[in-house]
Amino acid sequence: MLSSLLRHTAIICASATFCLPLHTAETEQLELEKSELKFGFIKLTDCAPLVIAKEKGFFSDEGLSVEVVAQSNWKILLDNVISGELDGAHMLSGQPIAATIGIGTKAHIVTAYTMDLNGNAITVSNSVWSRMQEADESLDTETPPHPISAQSLRPVVDEYLENGEKLQMGMVFPVSTHNYELRYWLASSGIHPGMYSASDVGGRTSAEVELSVTPPPMMPATLEAGNIQGYCVGEPWNQKAVSTSIGVPVVTNYDIWKNNPEKIFGVSAAWAEENPQTHLAVVKALIRAGQWLDATDTQGTLINRSEAARILSGSNYVGADFDIIKNSMTGFFYFQKTDKRAMPEFNVFFDHFCTYPWYSDGVWFLTQMRRWGQITEAKPASWYAETAQKVYRPDVYREAAKLLLAEGFITEEDIPWDTDGYKAPTKEFIDGILYDGHDPLGYLSKHTIGHKE
Amino acid sequence: MSDENRRTATERIKHFLLQVIDLTALGFLEPVVRLIYGEEPRVQIRKIGRFVAVPILAFLCFVGIWAAWAPHHKTKAGEVPTPSVVSEAYTTILTFSEREDSKEEAYLLSEAERVPLLQQAEAQLLKARTTAQAADEAVAHAQEADTASKKQLTERISEQLKTHKSTYKQERKTRENALKTELGTLSSNESIARVAAFREWKSKQTRLQKSMKEDLARIRAQVNPKVQTALAQQTSCAEEVQYLSSYCDILSKSNKESKLAAIDAEILALQNSMKQADTKNRYKQADKILVLHERRKKVEASSYAKASTLPMQIIRSIACVFAGFLIGTVIAVPIGVCCGLSSTFMAAVTPFIALFKPVSPIVWLPILLIIVGGFIPDPETHWLIQWLWDAPLIGELKINPAFLASALTVAMCSLWATMVNAALGVASVDEDHLNVAKVLRLGFCARLFKIILPSSLPLIFAGMRISLGVGWMVLIAAELLASSEGIGKFVWDQFNNGASDSFAKMFVVVFVVGFVGLILDRIMIIFQRLVSFEGSVAAI
Repeated sequence: MLSSLLRHTAIICASATFCLPLHTAETEQLELEKSELKFGFIKLTDCAPLVIAKEKGFFSDEGLSVEVVAQSNWKILLDNVISGELDGAHMLSGQPIAATIGIGTKAHIVTAYTMDLNGNAITVSNSVWSRMQEADESLDTETPPHPISAQSLRPVVDEYLENGEKLQMGMVFPVSTHNYELRYWLASSGIHPGMYSASDVGGRTSAEVELSVTPPPMMPATLEAGNIQGYCVGEPWNQKAVSTSIGVPVVTNYDIWKNNPEKIFGVSAAWAEENPQTHLAVVKALIRAGQWLDATDTQGTLINRSEAARILSGSNYVGADFDIIKNSMTGFFYFQKTDKRAMPEFNVFFDHFCTYPWYSDGVWFLTQMRRWGQITEAKPASWYAETAQKVYRPDVYREAAKLLLAEGFITEEDIPWDTDGYKAPTKEFIDGILYDGHDPLGYLSKHTIGHKE
Repeated sequence: MSDENRRTATERIKHFLLQVIDLTALGFLEPVVRLIYGEEPRVQIRKIGRFVAVPILAFLCFVGIWAAWAPHHKTKAGEVPTPSVVSEAYTTILTFSEREDSKEEAYLLSEAERVPLLQQAEAQLLKARTTAQAADEAVAHAQEADTASKKQLTERISEQLKTHKSTYKQERKTRENALKTELGTLSSNESIARVAAFREWKSKQTRLQKSMKEDLARIRAQVNPKVQTALAQQTSCAEEVQYLSSYCDILSKSNKESKLAAIDAEILALQNSMKQADTKNRYKQADKILVLHERRKKVEASSYAKASTLPMQIIRSIACVFAGFLIGTVIAVPIGVCCGLSSTFMAAVTPFIALFKPVSPIVWLPILLIIVGGFIPDPETHWLIQWLWDAPLIGELKINPAFLASALTVAMCSLWATMVNAALGVASVDEDHLNVAKVLRLGFCARLFKIILPSSLPLIFAGMRISLGVGWMVLIAAELLASSEGIGKFVWDQFNNGASDSFAKMFVVVFVVGFVGLILDRIMIIFQRLVSFEGSVAAI
């Protein structure tokens, strides 16, 4: 009894002394090679870590003066990072990998920080939605059961094919998470989204549904104009469709692959080489931003998200209305105006070791690039691991985390210190297929549509 | 005598004013001046009525029609903004830019200046926080009331829809079963007719359901103006709080002086501790001090990382259009003059003019972006960019490859008018003048600079005026595509934002672009008049 009491007090004391430096912590500035930086972003809520690190002063704590500039699309953003116009940018997870292996513009890009998990959804137009409802009566309520599989889209796809047309859907970039998620969702119900090949860089060979590229902020306008009948995009562009009643989100990527990696912070390898200390300082600030975004109170409510949504709604950042950004940022998602669901993990910026640059994430994107033919020939399993190691830089991340730990900003258990860089194998996909980053070829062979080796 | 003197003095002023008006082609001011001097008041008043009052009336009519029509056109991005909404958006844009300016200023202030400002700002912040809270509550109230009223409206319809759905489902089943048993006794033609009737009934029922759903959707999509105003109020309050808190932060610690002071303190502490340190630590500390000195230099040179504001973007756009215009003119005038001098040269150049003149800026821009990018692979270290950044005046503009590509696009699209006019001007020099030159045995250079160029200048300037106008139009599109900081990018960012006030902000840009274009045109008119002999060039 007494001993347990003593132990308790000891724990309380220990945690108190441990917590103390958290509040009085100060950053130790590094020997920066460059202190005035310019980062690019696309108007999406998942650029939050960059914006928050600037607005909440995490960058300036590191002695960095950072300008954050909106870019009109992913291609221009990547080109600006390659040309040195930008020092770094908010990027799609697939972008540094694709650039490094030479899909599209070839350049060596690296990443030491994953910005977020989840955060995308697939939206279809009102007319497609009502036809899906006609075909599947269970959807014809105000709160249909989720997740909705692409099986319900099948009759609409067939109807288009019978008329000699193809359903058109939008995604944001050929190597974007959105492209792979949309393809995954369609293919998991046997709808062929088309293959890439050396001669077909549009990825439409034998497609039943044709996918095309539209920059994220243009999605709602393009849907409304009737050029596409659905799209896969990040927030706030799905909530925008709900609030302006032009479409209905049918599934989020949380349901397609639970806690999938979404954006990373990318810099060119040459820049990282020239500015190692600056790179560390940037990653430090970003880790703190991620932590701030995911801070919760004792009940588990996200306490800083409303403020984050307000900052993001500034016209020089995401610029959409506050209550649209707020919809998905504060742990909820509107599937229809009448269908608001709690999704506390729709946006993850820090939990689940989110910010760590996992090799297994890189390998997954490589398997998808191979599956859909963007990588034109079969590669050995070792190639997948080597390529991921070229792009992902956990060494930089760990060093930054170590500094933060010494300064008292994070705790021991915030960082997976002794991982080999691969997440545990998971089955949490919409079709339940097991993914193990160590076995990319085995994973490829389990899918019915797409290259199997 | 003195009276006479005064009269000639006033006459001279009047003459001067009229000349200025003539030069700047502000003809509508002429009757005003004449009226002040009491010259034929009746005629002048009539003229004022025609040239001043009528345009103003027409503009007022336009604003009136706009204000009346705008709320009736509903788009998914909201209603078309009325003039008052646009002027509000203009104020928002200005506020944003003023706030950024004040933050930039605060970054450089000395302590004596900061302290009173900080006190003031903190008091404001306190006040702003309470109003923001009130605004939050107002929004919650308005939204609650809105949901309640919508619920009342939709409840009946959704109840109807629900019952209709269940009865329809049942009835469809019974009808279908009945039909199936009945069909066994009927002829094929009759069965087809029965099935057709059944199908007709089914589609009628689904149509009914659809219309109910549409009603529901319409009610739910209705925008409640009360909620709208509450939200706008909330946004403006929250933005003020945000601005004030970051302003306070800059005033209290994130300014240059405080940062320098912190570094100095650190250096001093290290220097003091160095005295007692052993050799090993000494090296470390000396090294650290050097690092701190290095950092101090960087902070010394630093400035507030300012977000781009519309005034900055306007200045950059104007600089860009002039850069492109200059490049275009430097290319166009010599070629045009050569064309005018030699018909053989003209014949050689004509196909290029004919072929490239109609090409749109949308085509030139991506090509030029790639070409410029080829010349400047790494802008950070390229000598040209470095030189432009260090240059006085234009250094502020942070000229980058996107700027250069936009300027070149302007040049490519605008040089044709100048070129064609220069050729025409040179070709139509008066024969008599050339004959005089022959008699005087003037050399080629003298002929060119004394006779040909002066007499063709009015036409060259007329061409340049058209070029500048074309260039300004082209520039906005080029900036939009190149994401080169400027008015074009502002429009594109607003379009991408899709916030409730973005639409109105784009309307503001219409007027800004128009106004800047008008000023540019006037400047060119003045030049044109200065070089022409008769001074009679159309003003519009």
